[in-house]
Amino acid sequence: MESALNKPLQQETKPKQQKEKRARELFSRTWPLHLMLLPAAIITFIFAYVPMSGLIMAFQDFKPYDGIFRSKLVGLEHFRFMFEYPDSKQVIMNTLIISGLKIVFGLVVPFTFAILLNEVRKMFFKRVVQTLVYLPHFISWVILGAILTDMLGSKGIVNQLLNTLGLESVFWLGEGNWFRFTVVVSDIWQNFGFNTIVFLAALSGVNPSLYEAAEVDGATRWKQTLHITVPSMIPIAVVVGTLSLGNILNGGFDQIFNLYNALVYDKGDIIDTFVYRTAILNGQYSFGTAVGLFKSIIGLIMIVFSYRMAYKYAGYRIF
Amino acid sequence: MKKWLSVLLVLSFMLAIAACSGGNNTNKGTNAPASNKPGNEPAQTEEGNAEGFADGKYTTPVTLTTVWGLNQNGSVFKEGETIEDNVHTRLVKERLGIDIKYNWVVTNTNDAYKTKLRLMLSSGEEMPDVVTYRGDLETVNMLIDSGQFMPVGDLVDKYANDTYKAGLDLDPTIWLPISRGADKMALPILDYAYNADHVMWVREDWLTKLNLKAPTTLAEMEAVMEAFVKSDPDGDSKANTLGLATGFKNGFANWMTDIGFIFGAHGTMPGQWNQAADGSLEHGSINPAAKAALSNLKEWLDKGYISQDSALLDETTGSELFTKGEAGIMFGPNWLPAWPFPDLLNNVPSAKYKAYPIPAGPDGKIGSAGGNPPANGYVFVNKKAKNPEAIIHYYNWFFDNMANPQPGSEFEKGFAEGYDYATLPDGSITADIAKYPDLFPGLKDQTAPPLFYTLTFEGARIPTLYAETHVKLAGGAEAVTPYEKQEFNTRLKENTDAMKVVMDQNAIRMKNYYMGPLTETMQSKNELLNKLLNETFNKIVYGQQPVDSFDTMVDNWKKSGGEQITKEVNDWYNSVK
Repeated sequence: MESALNKPLQQETKPKQQKEKRARELFSRTWPLHLMLLPAAIITFIFAYVPMSGLIMAFQDFKPYDGIFRSKLVGLEHFRFMFEYPDSKQVIMNTLIISGLKIVFGLVVPFTFAILLNEVRKMFFKRVVQTLVYLPHFISWVILGAILTDMLGSKGIVNQLLNTLGLESVFWLGEGNWFRFTVVVSDIWQNFGFNTIVFLAALSGVNPSLYEAAEVDGATRWKQTLHITVPSMIPIAVVVGTLSLGNILNGGFDQIFNLYNALVYDKGDIIDTFVYRTAILNGQYSFGTAVGLFKSIIGLIMIVFSYRMAYKYAGYRIF
Repeated sequence: MKKWLSVLLVLSFMLAIAACSGGNNTNKGTNAPASNKPGNEPAQTEEGNAEGFADGKYTTPVTLTTVWGLNQNGSVFKEGETIEDNVHTRLVKERLGIDIKYNWVVTNTNDAYKTKLRLMLSSGEEMPDVVTYRGDLETVNMLIDSGQFMPVGDLVDKYANDTYKAGLDLDPTIWLPISRGADKMALPILDYAYNADHVMWVREDWLTKLNLKAPTTLAEMEAVMEAFVKSDPDGDSKANTLGLATGFKNGFANWMTDIGFIFGAHGTMPGQWNQAADGSLEHGSINPAAKAALSNLKEWLDKGYISQDSALLDETTGSELFTKGEAGIMFGPNWLPAWPFPDLLNNVPSAKYKAYPIPAGPDGKIGSAGGNPPANGYVFVNKKAKNPEAIIHYYNWFFDNMANPQPGSEFEKGFAEGYDYATLPDGSITADIAKYPDLFPGLKDQTAPPLFYTLTFEGARIPTLYAETHVKLAGGAEAVTPYEKQEFNTRLKENTDAMKVVMDQNAIRMKNYYMGPLTETMQSKNELLNKLLNETFNKIVYGQQPVDSFDTMVDNWKKSGGEQITKEVNDWYNSVK
């Protein structure tokens, strides 16, 4: 196995015959690696690609009774319905605003936090903070939702604090704009620990000799951060940003679902909660599938687009 | 060499996968035992029909095929017994001459039973003699529309005993969900009635302390709530009390922390279909009376009678306002003393609570959601069944013998000795398996509940039994029958008294008259309309929209499909009533 791994796999430009021969030789050396890849490939195929055939539901008038094979085909009917539905525009706008804010702040906050944490010299303190900010990531929104509803309630701890400071109580979860604010902040709070770790990993990979050289040249700590730390983090920030753009139409179902209520439908209802109510509660499976397909396509377009941008402007490729 | 080692590794890994999946298959195999032989093989009777039934028994045993999903509470078996062969199946065979054959059995987790039924339907498989189903109306309709089952009206008329008939006659609308024109397409499984109907629970200690009387009208109720909020009934010198415990995140008529009574006091009930004066059905949320109720609620919120967080709370979290000792009134069913009121006594040991009738509105109207027909499942009878009446004989037998055994009768103590009860040397009975494991041979930790093995889920329940027993006990009568004794020993006095309050107000219940499946327009428009209603209702209560926006909402509702739905609902109603 080692031998196969260690031999360099160079790509060379040789006449065609020789090329084929080389490829065969290459394969004869590396085929155990291909074989090891096989289980993963099979599992991906079974669990990620085969279920995609269910997308046909989006073009059918699917009845569980008839199953996929006997349900009537209706073409793009469900997509038409989706765009003509009076609430669709509002719901899509809400989703874009909420997830847009989440993506932007979900990049900025961990980026800044990682730089700050990187400056901490006490290893122990750094580790503890890193773990603590990562912890909320593992708490389910069912629980967080209940905690937040309690904390942000009219007699909750947050409003009590505001009152002692002489401020008016805020109806955090019942007033549209405050609801968006709460959703974005609580999402960042829950998830920035994960990206912080990614950024910290990138930082540990920066060549120390760069800093040494800068110091010799008389650069201050701030200048070092600005000209060495930040630029070396840009590629990984681009990657994180690119990947999260694929989620532009995911506002975070479990979060919103556990926090929202009828008072904030106009500002807080997102595609996923809307689909849950229409498709799942009312048995409109085809419509739900159609919206899901629509979301995936937009997500794919966004990823391809941002990936091109990232390559063009940051010179970074993932694949 | 190393290469081969890695290949070996991969191969063994794949083998492990294969073995795992293989294991799953064998598991499935044991879950659905190999009794897949066609159950319809002629039961060895020549005249195998009603004539074979004499003296409560088929003279020549008949076979009754069915399918089954093992439910959580009916899946504890004695060692060596299964759902297919146990004390219940043996008893039924011996007493009734009915041999129950299970074509397949699944453990009913994640709706496995429903899924399997639906698969049978979609693959056009032959159904067994009887199919029992408890769950969503969609599947019920699929079963009916499959055309494999027969109308049961005649069977009931001819074979059902008086107890079952009386239970069915209690509320003729029990047939509506399963009617197709004049045909009744399934046997309703009866449940205890009136159990979901509401009373007004009031903190009796607060009333006494502030020297108040329990309110009988909305106006009186407002005065009481005012006192509860202003006069510090909990005596901690802080203004931290509420009048009414509410939580209307899920809608405006709730199974607990209900506020539907305010709408009822004005003559409507939101979120359901009520019978209008002309006999047609109308949606309760768009009745002008709802507007009056909403302005009441708005006032109550402004005055601090109800929690500022009401729109964020559901029934359970709303009830915590009461159990934390914050609110003085809460609306809900008779059984709240069993849950969640023990929490109140944990938090406020000195608390006392009592049930009172639902208060009346300005014109003397009283209304509360409830009074829905007492069915909790259905039995479908196959058209081609050899003995379609067998299931009714079966159900009759449980009504006669197990539903309400009289003192001294055979099943007075329970289903079977060593299963759900055991007799101690001194003659008293026990179900305490932890203390007397020797008296329950073949069982561990839990007693076996043979009544839950039955094709009708809980044997048979006489709808009025629960209510009648408590009304009787509330009147001071002594508990005589085993059922009365059990209820007397396990329920609190407050619970018993509350049931009497429910029964005294029996006439005010407003049931949901639409019991059909989702209509076509409902499927596409329900979400839009519900969102419109919920959003407007909440915003009116919270003052984010003027009360008059109610009228715009009603217009919108009608235009956006509400009118069409009303038509469909009334078409359905006319077809079944």
